Amino acid sequence: MDHFVHILTRPDNIPIAGMLFLVVFYYWLGISQAVKNDRFGVNRDIDKVHCWPYLTRIEFLASLIVMLLLTVWSVAIDAPLEEPANPSKTPNPAKAPWYFLGLQEMLVYFDPWIAGVVIPTLIVLGLMAIPYLDLNPKGSGYYSFRDRKFAVLIFSFGYLLWVLLIIIGTFFRGPGWYFFFPWEEWDVHRVVAITNVDLPYLFGLRSHFWSSAFGGAAVSGYYCLGVPFYLYLKRKRPEFLKDLGIVRYAIVAFLLLTMLALPLKMFLRIAFNIKYVWVTPWFNV
Amino acid sequence: MTEEASRIVSVRKEIPIDKTRGLWVTRRDFYSLSGWLAFFAFLFMATLGTLRFFFPRVLFEPSPVFRAGFPDEFAPGEVSAKYLKSQKVWVVRDEEGFYALSAVCTHLGCTPRWLETESKFKCPCHGSGFHRSGVNFEGPAPRPLERVKVTLDENGQLVVDKSAKFLFEKGEWGKPGSFLKT
Amino acid sequence: MSYREKIKRSQFYRSIFRHGYKDTKPNRMHQIVSNVFLHLHPTSVWRHGTEVRFTWGMGGITFLLFTVLTVTGVILMFYYRPTAEYAYADMKYLEFDVPFGMFLRNMHRWAAHLMVITVWLHMLRVFLTGSYKPPREFNWAVGVILLVLTLLLSFTGYLLPWDQLAMWAITVGTNMARATPFLGHEGPFGPELGVRTDNDVRFLLLGGTQVGPPALLRFYVLHCIALPLVAAIFMMVHFWRVRKDGGISRPPDREE
Repeated sequence: MDHFVHILTRPDNIPIAGMLFLVVFYYWLGISQAVKNDRFGVNRDIDKVHCWPYLTRIEFLASLIVMLLLTVWSVAIDAPLEEPANPSKTPNPAKAPWYFLGLQEMLVYFDPWIAGVVIPTLIVLGLMAIPYLDLNPKGSGYYSFRDRKFAVLIFSFGYLLWVLLIIIGTFFRGPGWYFFFPWEEWDVHRVVAITNVDLPYLFGLRSHFWSSAFGGAAVSGYYCLGVPFYLYLKRKRPEFLKDLGIVRYAIVAFLLLTMLALPLKMFLRIAFNIKYVWVTPWFNV
Repeated sequence: MTEEASRIVSVRKEIPIDKTRGLWVTRRDFYSLSGWLAFFAFLFMATLGTLRFFFPRVLFEPSPVFRAGFPDEFAPGEVSAKYLKSQKVWVVRDEEGFYALSAVCTHLGCTPRWLETESKFKCPCHGSGFHRSGVNFEGPAPRPLERVKVTLDENGQLVVDKSAKFLFEKGEWGKPGSFLKT
Repeated sequence: MSYREKIKRSQFYRSIFRHGYKDTKPNRMHQIVSNVFLHLHPTSVWRHGTEVRFTWGMGGITFLLFTVLTVTGVILMFYYRPTAEYAYADMKYLEFDVPFGMFLRNMHRWAAHLMVITVWLHMLRVFLTGSYKPPREFNWAVGVILLVLTLLLSFTGYLLPWDQLAMWAITVGTNMARATPFLGHEGPFGPELGVRTDNDVRFLLLGGTQVGPPALLRFYVLHCIALPLVAAIFMMVHFWRVRKDGGISRPPDREE
């Protein structure tokens, strides 16, 4: 337990503890407002008040509280300063800043070009695309779960997945980026013998060509899962699909399947030691 | 929509204060005053702290004290420019002993030159002229060159301390350290 | 006439303070409209925009933290030199030899961490209230850009102490850049296109083939000048769009 407390109280990790608490608290606040709205209806009778003093005083109060928190924090806890930079000596583990630990954790399951470039780009572009993909007129300007279940669920899944990756990267990764429980001492000399296997190999394929073909088929087959669901929607909710259009549907399906690919890959790796699903001479997935 | 907001302008009701009990302010006003006082006190202290930030406790400047060789290396009557470039100081020896002049013109801080043939210090910037003693006699310089402390160390070497200054106009050229008798 | 009255009617006073401060309707309006810092606000707002349980205040807090970071950052710049020779020594100097140096450094670093968190929470709030729906789609996209800029500002600043933590965290981060497809020398198809260690996108970031003095200077300029300016521009657009899109979002008058 000592070691866990030691990691938790490292100066640069304290924001993570704070973030965890804040995310839980504000999620609770939002959900409670959503529950209230869903049960009793949304209050649409909102009046106007003068900006001065009603808004400015709450802004002033908020800034006072934030400055107080920041000042106490800065007096109590010093920012870290380790040994001078030494290009020939790599610390073990070498961790990215905490907000990038999510990406660093993904490096376990994907190659750098996916984990470090493609996925972050898709996240940023996907986030920007949300308003153009979400055509639900409900839920604008108030908290609700009932009126926009899909949107809230998917976003929360992605949001909490990101937070989870940061937590794993902070507390569960030690020297060599091996998995350590938070209470385990970080053993610099630990070596874990893992024999990873590629998915095509698992299916008995031995030649390069057929492995590549199999991998390509697996990945495209995965993304093609969007097609049967499209047909299903066409039967059950044709009006909705007509408004949405096939382009939007395709983009949403692509992004959603990509996001779900991460926990899926994590599962494949952890449960079956599968390293790559698709092996080609130029890139691996 | 703004008319509704305009209707709500609540002006504070005047609350009568019971002066017979020695009260001079309502509880609300007292807290309000304390709050604002605390806020401005914080701002004031933050400003002071920020100001103090700009005066570091440790400086990495070269030492003002340097060794200037042995007295025998200087002839009587000589104005030595040996340490002019490195330390901005002239070491001057007359029949009675040593003194050191700071080579900072008292006009605006340029470095004067010693003109042996004319027996004067002349500043190139605005033409200030000083006698061998350091006293100003021509040009815009308002006061004589400053003398700096010169002493002998235990080995008999001359030691000059530029941080200890002696100003003629304050009558300090007689004080110990301003002149080294040999 | 009392002295207070005399002062208040003087030319000097009236040239600075152009309205009264008694709590009246016009003065409440003046406090906002006649003030350069406050006049981004409208003179009256929907009531729920003043309620923390709806807005959480995270957007405003993020902006406050940005201001704190700018002020503390400028003050720290008086002692920090962005060269490999001096950077670490200047950090030590700030810690031990400069009065309040450590405190200011702490303020800067903790405000930076807190700002990443508040920006994240702000995004969550905007999503949960559906405040990205028309007409606010564009402002949401601007917000995502601001999120990326916040992370980049934090990332570039992380290198500046030039200690082991800084150098290796940034090495890990920029090593991902060399894996960029087409543009990185270790990414798919990169080498086939003639992309090498000295002309790929990682080189662009670092000004070199490894994290060294050129990277430090480059990150310093990005962190102190380039990114703050870009962030300020996007913030201006972001705040402007909030006004133009109708202020804090609220439920429509009629149920759809």
